Amino acid sequence: MPDPSDPRASEPNDPEELRFQYTPSDEPTPEQEIDNPHAKDTTRVPAVIDALRTEFGDDIHDVERYANEDTVYVAKQRIQDICRFLKEDEEFDYFVDLGGIDNFTDEDRYEVFYNIVSTERQKRIRLKVRVDEADMRVPSVTDIYRAANWNEREAYDMFGFEFVDHPDPRRMYMPEDFEYHPLRKEFPQLGVPGSLPLPPQTPDGDLTMDPFAAAHGSQPRKSYEEPPVDADSDE
Amino acid sequence: MAQAPDFPGLDFGDRFRFWPKHNEKIYERLEGKHAWLEEKQAARGDGDLPVTEKVEKDPLENEMILNIGPQHPATHGVLRCVVKLDGETVEKSVLDIGYLHRGIEKLAEHKTYQEFMPYTDRMDYLAPYSNNVAWCLAVEKLAGIEVPDRAQWIRMIMSELARISSHCLWLGVGMMDAGAVSGFIWTFQQREEIYAIMDEVAGARFTVSHSRIGGVANDFSPRAIEMIEDFTDSFLDEVDGWETLLNRNRIWVERNRDVGRITKEEALELGVTGPNLRGSGVPYDVRRFEPYLKYDEVDFTIPVREEGDCLARYFLRLDEMKQSVRIIKQCLDRMTEGPIRSDDAKEAYPSKEEVYYSMEGMIHDFMYTDVGTVPPKGAHSYHAVEGPKGELGFYLTSDGTGRPWRVRINAPSFTNLQAMEYIMEGSLVADTVVIIGSLDPVMGEADK
Repeated sequence: MPDPSDPRASEPNDPEELRFQYTPSDEPTPEQEIDNPHAKDTTRVPAVIDALRTEFGDDIHDVERYANEDTVYVAKQRIQDICRFLKEDEEFDYFVDLGGIDNFTDEDRYEVFYNIVSTERQKRIRLKVRVDEADMRVPSVTDIYRAANWNEREAYDMFGFEFVDHPDPRRMYMPEDFEYHPLRKEFPQLGVPGSLPLPPQTPDGDLTMDPFAAAHGSQPRKSYEEPPVDADSDE
Repeated sequence: MAQAPDFPGLDFGDRFRFWPKHNEKIYERLEGKHAWLEEKQAARGDGDLPVTEKVEKDPLENEMILNIGPQHPATHGVLRCVVKLDGETVEKSVLDIGYLHRGIEKLAEHKTYQEFMPYTDRMDYLAPYSNNVAWCLAVEKLAGIEVPDRAQWIRMIMSELARISSHCLWLGVGMMDAGAVSGFIWTFQQREEIYAIMDEVAGARFTVSHSRIGGVANDFSPRAIEMIEDFTDSFLDEVDGWETLLNRNRIWVERNRDVGRITKEEALELGVTGPNLRGSGVPYDVRRFEPYLKYDEVDFTIPVREEGDCLARYFLRLDEMKQSVRIIKQCLDRMTEGPIRSDDAKEAYPSKEEVYYSMEGMIHDFMYTDVGTVPPKGAHSYHAVEGPKGELGFYLTSDGTGRPWRVRINAPSFTNLQAMEYIMEGSLVADTVVIIGSLDPVMGEADK
């Protein structure tokens, strides 16, 4: 407890305390679930959700709606069956997008979403699976939708999901020598010093370790040899 | 030191000091991969997938591993294709991207919605205006912001100009890839005129950042409208000229026909998007599928071709440019007078007059820069536009503050490049250049 008579005691030690504390806005109102000036007809798919519920029962967890878009949370283990059902029985033939989300919560920290389109029925559906930090395995849907291949590689690269049975489990953007998953919330925006060696600056030199290391407060390793400093001198 | 894979004609020694593991994995993948033709045959039941085993002998020394790029002008950016050749035929190919990866999805999480907009310019840098509009529409959908009519017309005109500009560049470099260098200059003359229009409208030629959340930055000047009218009047004649040169040109047709063919089923399976998808006979265009702005109010057709080869994509993009001109003319006719930005201080920046001459205006300007638009907590939505390259969508998640919690960019070039890995297999080396040109990837967008 700071002493109120001592003016210096009131100075915050933690820079976090100096930060402007902004109160987050409220959750969406029930009207906002449907009403939106940019709402589309394609994203509302009650018929498909009913079909999914009859086919998969409790494996369809819950349905969220915002701006006239349906999001269906499904069980992680059944995602392959659900995608196959959507493709074969519900004409969802065009795979658009897949990606991860880091919610930074204790339980079910990550989410993977699937954005699939039916060109015949003119519908778009979004599926989501919840992924816990302790078990990062997600069944790969590349068998069903070949187009998911690179997107799954990217999600692995950025979040570290392990897509089971993926035909080509390599990183998408970062080199294999990189050890981190940059879109996780704990990864610093400036990067990790020294994590990514860059090519040497002279033909026979060492690899350049981090050109921006000074930004992180560390000295970069020299890529050339400096003449030895005389041990007797004062400097 | 990484052990380089050993197959005939390949001895890397310890050449890979730089990202050794990365290169090793690429070559491993190239060896272990099944060519798409083999996979298709196996799926049809004509025999099983061959067991991948090291070829011990290659007496004629036909096999060769070739790195095309990343520093190669024909790859249209920093695309690296590692291909396994059998004579002159590409047997297998592996693409390596990420040489332009800047992590803009991560950067977006640390910026207000408006602050992120200049970054979208640098995604598909051949048509920045489309990206601006895509981003603004996505944020407006997330926050439920209504945009005045005039701003929507302005956005439409400028997006279509961006499409023409992007297709002009595609045609110019496409001709150059096939050997006709002077065509590049002719299409760039037209691009130059569009640059001039962008300059007049937005004050910047290339990375325009003209659209704003809740509207656009400023209205058209009379001079700008005049310039756009002049351009739309003269542009179709230019296209006619290009068509006269190319449509029946034997070299052009033979370089493009039956090259990089994708059937309708394959296109859907590979998930290609934009003109490449429509060139294979799938009439999927976001302007029709999920009409945004005023696209449901203007009259235009979506060109579709059935052949699915490079020549079909050429005809299709030329048709698209003509349709864009048609859309722009209708927009100019139907544009109404009115405000160009939302009047709500929580939805858009106030006008400069308000900022300079009223206290409230200045406070609003400050607050919008500091906090900006605040979508509801936990809201998430996806909005896509039809960019020149295909479906460009942003999937945004809000945590109820002025900064997005997660931005997911669905980039059309990324999707198209994924398909290109398969399309290249079975073609000739000389045709890979034409195929890259005809799928029209932009690495700034594919690498995010």
